[in-house]
Amino acid sequence: MRRSFKGLAVTYLSLVVLIPFAALVTKAFAGGPAAFFGAVTQRESMDALGLTLLCALVGSAVNAVAGLATAWVLVRDRFVGQGLLNAVIDLPFALPTVVAGVTLYTLYGPSSPFHVNVTGTWIGVTVAIMFVTLPFTVRAVQPVLESLTFNAEAAASTLGASSAHVFRTVTLPVLAPALLTGTGLAFARAIGEYGSVVFISNNLPYRSQVASSYIYSLTTSGQTRSAGAVSVALLVIALVVLTACGAVSRRLTHGRR
Amino acid sequence: MRRPSRLLRFVVLAYVTALVGLPLGFVFQRVLARGLGSLWAALGDPQMDAAILLTVKVALIAVPLNVVFGVGASLWIARHPSRATRALDAVIDVPLAVSPIIIGLILELAYAQGGWFGSTIARLGWRVMFSLPGIVLASVFVSLPLVSRQVIPLLREIGDHQEQTAATLGAGPVRIFFTITLRAITWALAYGVSLTMARVIGEYGAVLIVSGNIALVTQTLTLNIGGNFENFNAYQGFVGASLLASASIAVLVVLSVARHRERRRHGHLTA
Repeated sequence: MRRSFKGLAVTYLSLVVLIPFAALVTKAFAGGPAAFFGAVTQRESMDALGLTLLCALVGSAVNAVAGLATAWVLVRDRFVGQGLLNAVIDLPFALPTVVAGVTLYTLYGPSSPFHVNVTGTWIGVTVAIMFVTLPFTVRAVQPVLESLTFNAEAAASTLGASSAHVFRTVTLPVLAPALLTGTGLAFARAIGEYGSVVFISNNLPYRSQVASSYIYSLTTSGQTRSAGAVSVALLVIALVVLTACGAVSRRLTHGRR
Repeated sequence: MRRPSRLLRFVVLAYVTALVGLPLGFVFQRVLARGLGSLWAALGDPQMDAAILLTVKVALIAVPLNVVFGVGASLWIARHPSRATRALDAVIDVPLAVSPIIIGLILELAYAQGGWFGSTIARLGWRVMFSLPGIVLASVFVSLPLVSRQVIPLLREIGDHQEQTAATLGAGPVRIFFTITLRAITWALAYGVSLTMARVIGEYGAVLIVSGNIALVTQTLTLNIGGNFENFNAYQGFVGASLLASASIAVLVVLSVARHRERRRHGHLTA
């Protein structure tokens, strides 16, 4: 029975993930390496990739700080409504991206009740990315902060260190690996984001089109080889960022011991 | 230990409210602004109702598939470590780092006409792309690791002492699973299933590509919302969005209960 389950699990994974992935890589390089690089370095593609990376970087950096602060308040503060705040943090995981997309467009678009119109700008894209990546850092840092005992912090402050100094030299180094992992995951999620971004971005080529939108337009216009090439480029970026974050995070953990 | 200053609490609450609370409230405000009569009429929209039905159908197929796969793979990975399970453990998380649009594209490259299996599927008389199987495939792909990511750490943490004791006492594998393992992982599983459900009913990009987005036939609720919005039918779009937002709130309640129960017994759940 166990053997047959293993066979089923591997088949399931192959049919859903592995074989389609192989099809993607084959397609991306079907015209040879020159065609691959040609497709990736085309101006429309480079503009889309550049905008995507910029917005993902800004969005995940903002949420690294905001996420740390949120985790801090959730763990070390006590106030009415804290449980609600803790639950609401997961909303971006639970709320469909298209709902976020149309809502953000209506809130911060041409008919905004606050008269703020950020459609078609990198700011609009970044706001959408901030929305979808909010939980990553919070949920990465929160458990570490909870398991932290206060002895070291208390010792440092008894010895006369200011609270900013204690935070920088005692607390932050302990949180850094989790903070980095969470931010890396947020970044990886951000560069592939579609549903929440596509409405507010207005999808203007060379200006406000993100990479996933560009891949979508290539796919629907039948240019699957170029779509495959840009996809592989985007996946490589995600992989490099995640691997680098993992390596630095491990080194930080290791250096502490 | 000093508590954080009130200023920090205020800044965090303002940030989360502006970023998350405001959009959520806005969806319901938009829907209720025209009164219950319009809402009732909008709820009867045949295209939206067909889309809801399709989304429910997809969820009823995709979620059980991924729960069975997720629990099985978790048991295999946590209880029988080997080179194969380490590879599986790495591959299983991949869908989370891949853009939904890329997921749609790679399924098209594998299963559409002109794709790797396109001619085989056509010869067998099946349809995958632009029909239910394609939508299920995309939904399964995007939500693949959500169960195992919750269950594997817990299985590792609780160890297999109880399972081994039961086996020594003569219990079969099925009985051990239902009386011991399943009971230990109940809340982690509930957490994973809720996330899977939310992801499946909320998927947009991948389904947009594989379904072809044909109204009344292959249009899921998320596609219907996007379509209504693009066609300047924003109110109808918001009515659909409010249904999905209500479902997300229900999911959040389950997540929050599960997190509470689990924390009382074990460590943490990661989202």
